[in-house]
Amino acid sequence: MNTLTEFYYVLIFLTVAVLFTIAPVVIAYLISPRTRGKKTLATYECGIEPFGGAWIRYSVVYYVYALIFIAFDVDILYLFPVALSYTKGGRVYEFYSLLIFILILAFAIIYAWGKGVFTWKRRIQ
Amino acid sequence: MGERGFYLETKDPIIKFAITEKFLNLARANSLWPITFGLACCAIEMMATAMARFDIDRFGAGIFRASPRQSDLMIVSGTVTKKMAPTLVTLYEQMPSPKWVIAMGNCAISGGPFVFEGQYNLIEGVDLLVPVDVYIPGCPPRPEGLLEGLMKLEEKITGKRRFPTPEAKW
Amino acid sequence: MVEKVKEALRIKIADINITEISYAERGYHLSIEAQKGNIVSVVELFEGKGFYLADLCCVDYVDYLELVYFFNHHKELCRSRVTLKVESDRPVAPTISHIYTMARWYEREIHEFFGVYFEGHPNLTYLFLHEGIDYYPLRKNQIPIPADDKKLLNSFKPEEEEDAFFINLGPQHPSTHGVLRVVIKMDGEYILSAEPVLGYLHRMHEKMAENRTYQQFLPNPGRMDYMGALNFNLAHVTTVEKLCGIEVPERAQYIRTITCELNRIGSHLLWVGAFLADLGGLTPFLYVFDDREQILDILEAVTGSRLTYCYFRFGGLYNDVDDAFVDATKQFITRLRSRFAMYEKLITKNVIFINRVKGIGIIEQGMIRKYGSSGPVIRSTGMPFDIRKVEPYAAYDKIDFEIPTGTTGDNMDRYMVRMKEMEISLGIIEEAIKKLPSGPFKAEKVPKKLKPPRGDMYHTVESPRGELGVYVVSDESDTPYRMRWRVPSFSNLMTFPALARGTLIADAIATLGSYDIVVPEIDR
Repeated sequence: MNTLTEFYYVLIFLTVAVLFTIAPVVIAYLISPRTRGKKTLATYECGIEPFGGAWIRYSVVYYVYALIFIAFDVDILYLFPVALSYTKGGRVYEFYSLLIFILILAFAIIYAWGKGVFTWKRRIQ
Repeated sequence: MGERGFYLETKDPIIKFAITEKFLNLARANSLWPITFGLACCAIEMMATAMARFDIDRFGAGIFRASPRQSDLMIVSGTVTKKMAPTLVTLYEQMPSPKWVIAMGNCAISGGPFVFEGQYNLIEGVDLLVPVDVYIPGCPPRPEGLLEGLMKLEEKITGKRRFPTPEAKW
Repeated sequence: MVEKVKEALRIKIADINITEISYAERGYHLSIEAQKGNIVSVVELFEGKGFYLADLCCVDYVDYLELVYFFNHHKELCRSRVTLKVESDRPVAPTISHIYTMARWYEREIHEFFGVYFEGHPNLTYLFLHEGIDYYPLRKNQIPIPADDKKLLNSFKPEEEEDAFFINLGPQHPSTHGVLRVVIKMDGEYILSAEPVLGYLHRMHEKMAENRTYQQFLPNPGRMDYMGALNFNLAHVTTVEKLCGIEVPERAQYIRTITCELNRIGSHLLWVGAFLADLGGLTPFLYVFDDREQILDILEAVTGSRLTYCYFRFGGLYNDVDDAFVDATKQFITRLRSRFAMYEKLITKNVIFINRVKGIGIIEQGMIRKYGSSGPVIRSTGMPFDIRKVEPYAAYDKIDFEIPTGTTGDNMDRYMVRMKEMEISLGIIEEAIKKLPSGPFKAEKVPKKLKPPRGDMYHTVESPRGELGVYVVSDESDTPYRMRWRVPSFSNLMTFPALARGTLIADAIATLGSYDIVVPEIDR
């Protein structure tokens, strides 16, 4: 029961964070004049009507970038509990196990680098 | 063109007291963010005003945003032709309220030196398209002229002039 | 060269009408009258001999229209004028866009202003005018556009294709070229095709020239190219002076040279700032404006304006310069020389700048003749062609200076050529100040109402962007019959769609910035 009361701090933090983001939006909604024109909600494209659709097939390089990003984002999540409990141990094998974990992840980056995901050709035909 | 090109429907804000309006107008006047709308020669003088010698940034108006969604002042500097007119009106409508327009240079005020009989491509003055708050004459106006126009616009927004007008000595 | 061309033409086409003209009287060496049947062979002959098409314009003599082609050679000065008469009612002419690619845009322009139809042109749509126009503007009478031609008025509408992403580098953008709109078809981050759309700042200068006297037109050239306004002013004034036979005194020639070179330095300085701002580095912008303000102060004391100068008059200058001008210029020269080391450390040796700019946007020498480019764009490919050396005007023939060239023709070379041109301009100004003679600054006996004799005159000037040409046709009245401005940025911009194909969009914007175009002079 004792450790459960420590989560109250997290609840207060969460509430303040949400209020901090919502407050400017609400204040702006209350004190700004509302204007609607014919083109106000149109897409901005340097003042010209955009033509052509935006739902097209994209190059696959963007997809690979996004995949790699998601993978490493999830890895960072795994590192959070390690960071919290790191100083409580003090034994050297914790450091080595963390290093091996990160090295295995780094192999993925080196593989992607070797496959040419990070290079952009200057000119295509 | 007899009627204005834009179409706007404005509603008042939900909370509107005199004291909040006073402070809000003071804040708005001291941080006008212009949109980069340099069309012709006057644009170079506008750039010179934004540079180190005639710094417009000391009045809060130095952040020129490229997107109309993030700006509230449109300095029309240069000639407006019939091909450019729909673009100008679209950009004006895409700016959020409250917004102001400065017509800089003779071409934006009334067509400038390009009005002649038989002209076929000119909008004689940008106030035929959008409502203008301050007119700055000159071809092109000096950077000090643009700064004076900015002072006049601040006076229009807040009701008080930032620097006193010097007395005419002769 | 003149003889060789005459011989070759006589051999190829038997009964062609060639006249040799005195260069001092008309500004060109040969005048050739072609017919519709043999104009293409004449143009092919010029192309075979290595000429480039300097200008393609049209003059409306009410009974007939005359298409005028100007050819020039990079290695040896031989300016030739080829004329082609077409009928005034639904005029048709053969196209030359398969020989010289630049003729595509020039012929589109003639089509929308005069109504001439070019057979065989790949894409005869409107370039400058807006969709509400319903007559041909530059014709002497108001001739309405025929109804079946109205579909050509939709100047730019791309076809709807699948999987093509169109984006507008619209008329409103944070770079400082002006109102240029480029429609880009993209595949991810790469550009498949880039098509400029012009005409957003068409201010009818050529039509105004026909409605204004020569003196009343004097402020207009400065508005055409506000960065190099004195060079445009000089082109206008020198052309009319040559047509009327007005002698300009020595002192005025030297002062014209000094002020034009100061203007050139100012224009290149602003280009450096704008180029770096396009690449993302906003710091040099502030530094160059500091130097530019010094030039503007010097010129303002003498001419009265900061940006759009109107300083030269027919026969000389408006105002004489005094010792304060000379002292201020000398101080400015010393100061700017000491700043070049700072610019080198800030920009030229900057690793990010070098990686962004080296090897991008390479123009080959073979493209230059096809597109009629001029100025630092061709000097960066290694061709030392400068109008100030080839056809000297003002006091340039009395001053010794060299022409900087690059090697590969990429963006880095264009940057280096312009930086070296600034240093060379400082040398020209120094020498001109040393040699400045005393005397009158204005020719006497210039009539108040200038009525040049009947005839035409073509004159070129090296503006900071390239070869600027003025073609004046006069009919003895006090307004010009036709004044045609051949602007350098129009031809330079034509190479952009070819260079941008297949590149990353950031590289294409860097290339566009390195051309140093000023859109009001393109749109005139």
